[in-house]
Amino acid sequence: MLHIRTYLTAISLFVGASLLAVEEKTLTLAGSTTVLPIAQRVAEEFMELHPDVNISVRGGGSGVGIAALIDGVVDIANASRPMKDEELKLARERGVNPVPTIIANDGIAIIVHPENPIDEISLDQLKAIYTGGISRWSELGGTNRPIVVISRDVASGTFEVFKKLVLEGENVRPDAIRLASNKAVAVTVAKTPDAIGYVGLGFLSPEVKPLKVDGVSPTPENVISGKYKIVRPLYMYTNGEPKGLAKEFIQFILSDEGQNLIKELGFVPVRLPK
Amino acid sequence: MKQLVTVLCGTCLLTSFAYGESTKLSLHVWNRHTLTMIGDSIKENASAIKRGYLSIKHKFTDKIKVRFTLDFFSSDDYKYGAGIKLKYGYIDIERPIAIPSAKLTFGLIKTYFGKTYDWTYPTITKVLEEKEKLIASADYGIAIFGYLPRGYGEYALSILNGEGYKKTGDKVNIHPAYVANVRVIPIPGITIGGSLFYEKAGIGKYENRLLYAGMVQLIRRPFSLLVEYLRKYSSSTSEGYMVVSIFNLRETIGRMVELVARYDKWDEDIHQSNDAHSRIIVGSNWHMLPPHKGKPTLMLQVNWEHTEFENANKPEDRVMLQLRWIISTKISR
Repeated sequence: MLHIRTYLTAISLFVGASLLAVEEKTLTLAGSTTVLPIAQRVAEEFMELHPDVNISVRGGGSGVGIAALIDGVVDIANASRPMKDEELKLARERGVNPVPTIIANDGIAIIVHPENPIDEISLDQLKAIYTGGISRWSELGGTNRPIVVISRDVASGTFEVFKKLVLEGENVRPDAIRLASNKAVAVTVAKTPDAIGYVGLGFLSPEVKPLKVDGVSPTPENVISGKYKIVRPLYMYTNGEPKGLAKEFIQFILSDEGQNLIKELGFVPVRLPK
Repeated sequence: MKQLVTVLCGTCLLTSFAYGESTKLSLHVWNRHTLTMIGDSIKENASAIKRGYLSIKHKFTDKIKVRFTLDFFSSDDYKYGAGIKLKYGYIDIERPIAIPSAKLTFGLIKTYFGKTYDWTYPTITKVLEEKEKLIASADYGIAIFGYLPRGYGEYALSILNGEGYKKTGDKVNIHPAYVANVRVIPIPGITIGGSLFYEKAGIGKYENRLLYAGMVQLIRRPFSLLVEYLRKYSSSTSEGYMVVSIFNLRETIGRMVELVARYDKWDEDIHQSNDAHSRIIVGSNWHMLPPHKGKPTLMLQVNWEHTEFENANKPEDRVMLQLRWIISTKISR
């Protein structure tokens, strides 16, 4: 019986040791790298208005943010795609009731190096590039150089939307370079003359050239009017209707001030701010 | 069938290196120290790597995925103190028919019965239906598995060998087993489920089997409660239940620590009076790294297990300390 007592003492010590530290209470967000700059910018403004509040924002991809919400380790999951049935089931089973709030809209811009002579592409050509049907720029009227195809990793919501809307479910060619964030795609395309990639509108800069798709430029106006076809809403998921600090934060994003910040970042507001 | 599945899985794996969207490699290890006492005498006091899963999950396309898992286990039955066996080897084909969120899974698959297929080991001890050898966690066969719309639950219909993944060839009778499983989540945090397993074994050394499982799970953070009821009709009628409650201290102390209590009751033959036993388990799980989708990544577990027998056998006490960890990496193509 002595052994049992020794082990039970060990159990008590183990539980006791784990009680020592107390975590700081914060509002935590994780998920989509597309939503990341919005969340970061709005969090900065919000914390300036509320100095007693600490907001932690992480990326990782939509899938990572949704998993974190299901595990109860974040207050808000940022996502650039809706949740899947499997994720919804897991969430509900674990007592989480995921409620989406659309905080912005976004277009997925097709980008190339600024020196690339190509200005326009069709959805069919784009699909052929990413699935292996077209492999040289000359096939699109450009230089006789191989196309360096840049895509996103499979945890990315941007990738899933691109795959659905452009590739119609087909796989990306195996030699495509997979990168972990919108920013990484933009930086790589800016440094690689023969590259093509895709990013959210908020990641456009003079370092890269956005292509017209089927004759339409990826601008906020064209996203709102519905002329630009590669578009998706951006979500913040909470467990149940937003409440407390999460509610205040989301209300701030949806306010005129928040929607103006979204516009400044190059994304498309869900409503026109005053 | 085992050879056929092995060949199929091997072919898929080799092909996967040339074609596909992503490959996930993972290693799960259960490192355990066990002290077992019967009355005052020590029966076991030893450390071992109880189990190690090496798993490859490959996604060819959105519609076709494969999984192959090897199970390494410590055992004195083998020259080097360890053995290896196939645990899973299956192919998933998404939406084989026009049902959204449904998949056809074929090969050495999970047994979609009771809590077997999604037991995350909040206690070190296996789920009751496995512990009492009612059913194996994997078997050779085919299943349709799907999700109800908007996360309202899931269902599965399977045809299996019926004898579990450790038995093949002439250890498997010629009659297949049929398994149906459904889980409904009417409101978040409440899951109600039921399973049925039927095998008409014919005449000879095998027995006809009819198994039922019913479960209710309540999760309201930080508390969760699971109740599972099992009944088996065969040459005898067995019955039992398991109650598991978990209290998560994360909100209270800021660390991912769970306090766990479990009570099992199992009667091997309800018409006999000396073959039942009950088991109490209390313990704690310290998630040293955050879990992912409810599954532990690095977890230290400690359990005390006390089993009382209906017959004259002395009670058995077991204390287990287990470090369980998972490493995984996903390679996108």
